[in-house]
Amino acid sequence: MSAIARWIQDRIPISPHVIREMSNEPVPYHMKHWWFALGGTPAYLFVVQIITGILLSFYYTASTGSAYDSVQYITNEAAFGWYIRSVHKWAATLMIAAVVLHQMRVYFTGAYRKPREMSWMVGMALLLTTLGLGFTGYSLVFEQLSFWGATVGANMTDSVPVVGGLLKNLMLAGETYNPRTLSRFFILHAAVLPVTMVGLIILHIVIIRLQGVTEFWFKGEEPHQLGKGKFDFFPDHFYTELTLGLVLMILLSTLATIFPASMGPQANPLVTPEVIKPEWFFYVVFRWLKLFPGTFAILSTGFVVFTMFTWPFIDRQIRRRTRFQEASVWIGIFGVFAIIALTLWEAFVAH
Amino acid sequence: MAETPNRDDETHTTETLDRREFVSRASGMAMVAGLVGGYGAFGAVAGRYLYPARPDDGTWQFVADLNQLRVGDSLRYRAPAGETVNITRTASTGVADDFIALSSACPHLGCQVHWQGPQDRYFCPCHNGTFDAAGVGTGGPPGDAAQSLPRYPLRVDGNLLFILVPTMRLADAGPEEQPAGEVLDPADCSSAAGHDPCLSPLAHKDRGSDLA
Amino acid sequence: MTLETKRWVIGGLGALFLISLVMVQWVETARRAEEAGLRPASVSAPASSVACVECHAQANPGIVDHWTGSTHAEKGVGCVECHTATELEPDAFQHYGESIATIVTPRDCARCHVDEAAEFAASHHSKAGNILASLDNYLAETVEGAREDFNPHSPTPGRAFGEVNGNASAQSGCKQCHGGKVALQSTDGSLITVDDLAPDENGIPTNQAIVAMVVKDDNGQPLYDSGTWPNTGIGRLNLDGSAGSCTACHSRHDFSPRRARQPENCGKCHLGPDHPQKEIFEESKHGIAYRDLKDKMNLDATDWVLGVDYSAAPTCATCHMSGNMRNGGKVTHDPGERISWTNRPPVSVAMDTDINHAIVKTDDPEERAALTTDSWNDKRNRMKDVCSHCHSPNYVNSFYDQYDAFVQLYNEKFGKPGLAIVGALVEHGARTPTQFDEEIEWTWFYLWHHEGRRARHGASMMAPDYAHWHGMYEVAERFYMELIPQAREMADHRGGSAGAAIHKVINDILARPEHVWFEEGAAEASARIREEMERRYGQGGVRQDGDNF
Repeated sequence: MSAIARWIQDRIPISPHVIREMSNEPVPYHMKHWWFALGGTPAYLFVVQIITGILLSFYYTASTGSAYDSVQYITNEAAFGWYIRSVHKWAATLMIAAVVLHQMRVYFTGAYRKPREMSWMVGMALLLTTLGLGFTGYSLVFEQLSFWGATVGANMTDSVPVVGGLLKNLMLAGETYNPRTLSRFFILHAAVLPVTMVGLIILHIVIIRLQGVTEFWFKGEEPHQLGKGKFDFFPDHFYTELTLGLVLMILLSTLATIFPASMGPQANPLVTPEVIKPEWFFYVVFRWLKLFPGTFAILSTGFVVFTMFTWPFIDRQIRRRTRFQEASVWIGIFGVFAIIALTLWEAFVAH
Repeated sequence: MAETPNRDDETHTTETLDRREFVSRASGMAMVAGLVGGYGAFGAVAGRYLYPARPDDGTWQFVADLNQLRVGDSLRYRAPAGETVNITRTASTGVADDFIALSSACPHLGCQVHWQGPQDRYFCPCHNGTFDAAGVGTGGPPGDAAQSLPRYPLRVDGNLLFILVPTMRLADAGPEEQPAGEVLDPADCSSAAGHDPCLSPLAHKDRGSDLA
Repeated sequence: MTLETKRWVIGGLGALFLISLVMVQWVETARRAEEAGLRPASVSAPASSVACVECHAQANPGIVDHWTGSTHAEKGVGCVECHTATELEPDAFQHYGESIATIVTPRDCARCHVDEAAEFAASHHSKAGNILASLDNYLAETVEGAREDFNPHSPTPGRAFGEVNGNASAQSGCKQCHGGKVALQSTDGSLITVDDLAPDENGIPTNQAIVAMVVKDDNGQPLYDSGTWPNTGIGRLNLDGSAGSCTACHSRHDFSPRRARQPENCGKCHLGPDHPQKEIFEESKHGIAYRDLKDKMNLDATDWVLGVDYSAAPTCATCHMSGNMRNGGKVTHDPGERISWTNRPPVSVAMDTDINHAIVKTDDPEERAALTTDSWNDKRNRMKDVCSHCHSPNYVNSFYDQYDAFVQLYNEKFGKPGLAIVGALVEHGARTPTQFDEEIEWTWFYLWHHEGRRARHGASMMAPDYAHWHGMYEVAERFYMELIPQAREMADHRGGSAGAAIHKVINDILARPEHVWFEEGAAEASARIREEMERRYGQGGVRQDGDNF
């Protein structure tokens, strides 16, 4: 052992052997298949978001008077500002897509079942936090659409029975969008939600480490054929994640170059744009809310979210009490189609 | 590069090294090189992003008509961002080199210097710093530290004198206000003794405690 | 996959990532160079228009140059996007694989600019083509020109002209501002206009039989009647049933907002002896400030909101069309939205408008209130919003007191009496029904159409010389020195009870207190003036030739 290593060893008394033991979780063999590595993707993108987000906040100012100008400065003036902003925007899009795909994979493989209900629920919380980050982040640009998107969003919370007004006031720091609103969105986006996210991710990983991930065996890859059911996290799976990370970076850079983040006109509280649309990942909810009157739409949305949260328990009851063992698959397929249909509907219709 | 690992590595001799190990090492190096290259470039981009996009947000501002200044005359000009600039005419050929535009903030502690014609020097009343006509420190703290008054670029267009000054300010006067500089009243800034009565309000506000 | 392969893959991907960042660097460098003006903004023609641009850059480089500098080019709106036309449209033709038409109408612009097109359609501007049945047009078509072509009466050496086009004055004059009826040549020698085509609500002709009769050149391009195109009049009656032409103000092919914001743009039509708005503006303090402070007008701003983007001076657009801080920056393409008097007719009318944006004509107050959807006062308040960016409420209100007083003075002293006199001449058979064949018809036209409008426009836009010397002074001279004597002469000529009735109308008018000085004299007023003059210039200071001014 070199002198430096010993010096460090004396001060941080953990042996490399222990570190290796701790980090080198055996990985089930099915993880050799790429689509099972989707869980790592949002985590990697989250790191990208933290880095680009910190970079953006060097120039961003969260005040209604200067927010738009500062975003414009980043986009048009700062060296590579357009690139950093575009990567941040595209990583957000990919992150939400990856979270949803990961969740779908978990759902359809039934990986949420006992004893992994907690994993699922933390995962749901992660999904909601991601959406929250998307909503608050988009508002920060303070262009017409993001301003009106936030206003409409706030008015939707207003139609939640009983506590709606309270929530709206908490969200906007007042009855309407006002000069104190934007700093709220900023601190939610840059501090509160990311910290929540980190906590939830740690919880998610700890639970996974304690429970182990569900194992799947494909035909021809059963443990008795391979002589082992698991492979090393380090370096084998680590390389997989590195590869995935690089592919994502290339993808992000390409998207940022070809479709850079643009800017609409500055927010103007006096002029409502003809067509108000949120970001694509809220199309489902937005279309749903347009289909039904306020309170019902809000309550039904809340009900769906609650059902998704508690699905492991509901699924258990269905499987125990009825003969529909595969009900979850059919419900899932229906849900996915409904989401896709509503999203497309919203995407292709102006109002 | 291909042979490098073989020769440099002392634990293996060329005889024992087989092809397999060589390929394995090469792949490892390729991986490290790829990672360092890719993420390193990203780091460089981030670094460039954080560094100011351009050194100065300057614009050319109109100062005066050339005929307003005879050789030896000087005027005080306040840039949009608040700096006060002394502009002196030294020749009459009608080009920008006839003029010297010097910041009137003393490089020592930021007090406002003024021109003293008889002594042919800029004088800083705070600690008796002096500068020659070109702004080079000749006495007092700036002289000792070999500090000069910052110079501003000038340009003559037609018969008009323009100066390149920063226009970004900390507190904006309002969106409709186009930043514009102004020529200051040549009040009696030259005859005052002790602390300069012509210290700009900015200097008073920011540096008052230093002066006290 | 073996660990070794994975490492190779990672190395390769890392290199790819590096390459993608080099690409990013390349874009950044290009952007910087563009920003520094080292390279013209890269405008790439949209795929659909690449071929157009390549060819027309050779054939008509001016068009392509103008377009290249336009916002359209920046946003990827090329040639085909605007010129596209379905094959059902009468002026559509196949041009290198695209179905296009030459004339782009407001209906075409409305494919993207929906609100602007709707506002414009509601405006008086879009109805400028209705002049085709008016007095002005009668002047050009009959008095100045001829209703039909006629033979030249002697040869023009060097040129072999067949016929004289009697419509030429209307074509080059009236219609270039007001807009004409666009016509295609028909195989039977007649012209095909919107009336023949009877387009449906999508602009597609319902009379497809007549579309088949359109004359086409060797390339299949339909031929417009040269008397109706080129024409960029603001109320052009297009083949698709739409009225107007956006390029009247937003000159093709750069569609520069900067230009539309400047008074010279309106001055193509709003000038001259009958409505010198541009000259009036130039004489006013507004125009003076504009000329001086033009470089502070921020004319290139994206939105150009008064009070936000600029406040140095107003232009025509500022007051009549553009957005301001008080109205939320809303631009209108209906310049009538802020005008409270229309000074166009012989007698000024308050701009109460109905649901169709037409002026409410009835006198009955209740009926007026019921019909009016946007009152003159609503319009005035919109204008006051603009004024108040630079003027305090008292100042603005008092200005409007002055303006109202002036309009009322003109209306009551000259407008309505003049109308009554020329009306009486018709009623009692002293005038022929033909317009402009008698001197008094020219006199009256000068009085209201030229001098009366100059006066009122002068007062409306703060140009004292137009209000007075080019305005009321000439109105008064025309009234007392020409209209009254000519009317009296015609009454004498008519004679009998009809002549007496006309004289009575004139006498009743001249007996009113404001006219009484003319025939009964104003000795008292003259004496007062003389006294004042003598006080000012001393005894004998008053010259008998009256040249004391």
